[in-house]
Formats: sequence, structure tokens, C-alpha cells
Amino acid sequence: MSAVCAALAADPVLASHYADFRGKTQAALNPALVALVRQAVATVHGIDSAPIDESTLDEGTRLCLAYARRMPFEHTAISDAEAAAVALHLGEAGFVAFSVLAALADAECRAELVDLPGLVGG
Amino acid sequence: MSTTPRVSSAIAGEPAHFGSVLAHQPAIAESFFALYGRFWGSDVLAARIKEVARMRNARVTECGFCRNVRFDKAVAQGLGEEVLDDITDGYETSGMLTDTEKAVLRFTDALIHDPELLTGDAKAALQRHLTPAQIAELGLGVTLFLALAKALITMGLEPEVMDRTVLPTPAVLEAAE
Repeated sequence: MSAVCAALAADPVLASHYADFRGKTQAALNPALVALVRQAVATVHGIDSAPIDESTLDEGTRLCLAYARRMPFEHTAISDAEAAAVALHLGEAGFVAFSVLAALADAECRAELVDLPGLVGG
Repeated sequence: MSTTPRVSSAIAGEPAHFGSVLAHQPAIAESFFALYGRFWGSDVLAARIKEVARMRNARVTECGFCRNVRFDKAVAQGLGEEVLDDITDGYETSGMLTDTEKAVLRFTDALIHDPELLTGDAKAALQRHLTPAQIAELGLGVTLFLALAKALITMGLEPEVMDRTVLPTPAVLEAAE
């Protein structure tokens, strides 16, 4: 469960809406890619220390992960060429879902790092 | 940072903007707008407080679109430009922002920038000024503001120029309920 979902436990309506948004975003992409993007972003934040073995991944997936790793601290430096390469791999609709996923993964890691559920719990 | 859209509009006749680009993924779009409307429609945390956090995020993430939008509900709750002008580095000394808003800004900075900023004093201040339910709602809001701003920026949806624009506060569409 994400830190945001956990923090919203006392508000089932908002929690349900948030879980739905999160779920719809993930459902638009390959589940393996979703897991890798979340892992890559978490690693940048120092949350998940398990390294990703990229040797078995295709070039497009490696591009996506390199892009996702820039989301936490370098989002304004991502170039048109980098974005075009990911969009070419995922297609335009896929790139939209991927952009939301990577940005949300970053924000959720940050919510975990400030211990949002702990703040709510007192 | 690009101001050239990296994704086309999915709505015929409309330029690329967040809504028209998100329309490439209708299920995500519908879910996001339902969530965002519900969040802004809730009065657990005042719209003015939410807008203070949103504006801080806009300035730190460099989201030009977010920076120039104002939501009318917060404006009606007294959040004028003279207050917004103080949501910059050094806000701790502002005479326009309330102590609650300063606590909210410290939390916002910790979440979007550096978790180390949420010191024991900052955490205590947040919990003194806000109820647990309000903190949960604030945490959701800052998470969404940050993700939305970064998605906008990385999809190249930043405006080249944009005037300050007061928009209706997002709301839940009755048909969606």
C-alpha cells in the first residue's frame, strides 16, 4: 500500500478515488514496466536498494527506466529527444500514462520519506 | 524545459493542454478529474490552505501553468496576490501568512524538496495546527500537485506566456456521482 493510501485510511471516499486513479494509471501500461519504473524511482530516493538487472531488458525498456530515474531531481532537464525516444517506444497514449506513472511514483516516494501515515497517525 | 508539446491533443480542434493530452487515456482522465474534484470539493481542509501548498509547489517545481492559475474558492477565502507574493523563500518571516500556512509550507517543502526539512519542530507545528484528517488531505494534495506539475512539464505542456488566470475550483461533476 502506498503511503498516500495508508494516510487516507480514515477517509474511504478519497482513498477509493486515489486508489482508482493509481490503478487506472498502472493498468494502462505493461505490469512489468510499472514495477520496474516504481523500483527505479524508489532506488533514486534511496528507498529500494535492490538493483535492477537491465541485461535482460530490451532497449526501449532501458530508455524508459533512464527517463524515469530523472523524474525525482532532473525533471526540468529532460530533453525533447529523450521524451521522443520514450514516446516512440510506448506510443503517444503510452507515453501519457508513463509520464503520469513516473511522476506519481516520485511523489509517492516523497510522501513515504516524510512518513505521511505517521504524521496522520500522530 | 520545453514549451513545445511532446504529445498531441487527443481532442479534435483543441490545442495540447493537460486535459486534451490526458484524453489519450480516457480511463485515467476520468479517474483523475473525479479524484481532483473530490479533493477540492472537500472542506476538511480549507481551499485557501490547499492553494497555499499548490502555489508553493508551482514555484519550486517551476510549473509555469500551475504558477499562473488561481482557483476561485481560495480567492474568495482571502488568498490575494499580496499573500501569494510571500510564498517564496523566506516565507517564515511573512506578516501576511498565518502560522498554520507557514506550517503547511514547511511540510510542502519537505515533501516536494527535502524530507530533512520536516524537523521535530516542523512536525509538531503541523500537528498542532492541523487535525489528522487535514494532514491526510494535505498530503494527498501535495502528492497530486507535485505529480501533476512534473507530468505537465515533462510532456512539454508549459505555456510560453500566460497571464494570471482565475479558474473555477475543480469540482465533482454530478453526473459522475
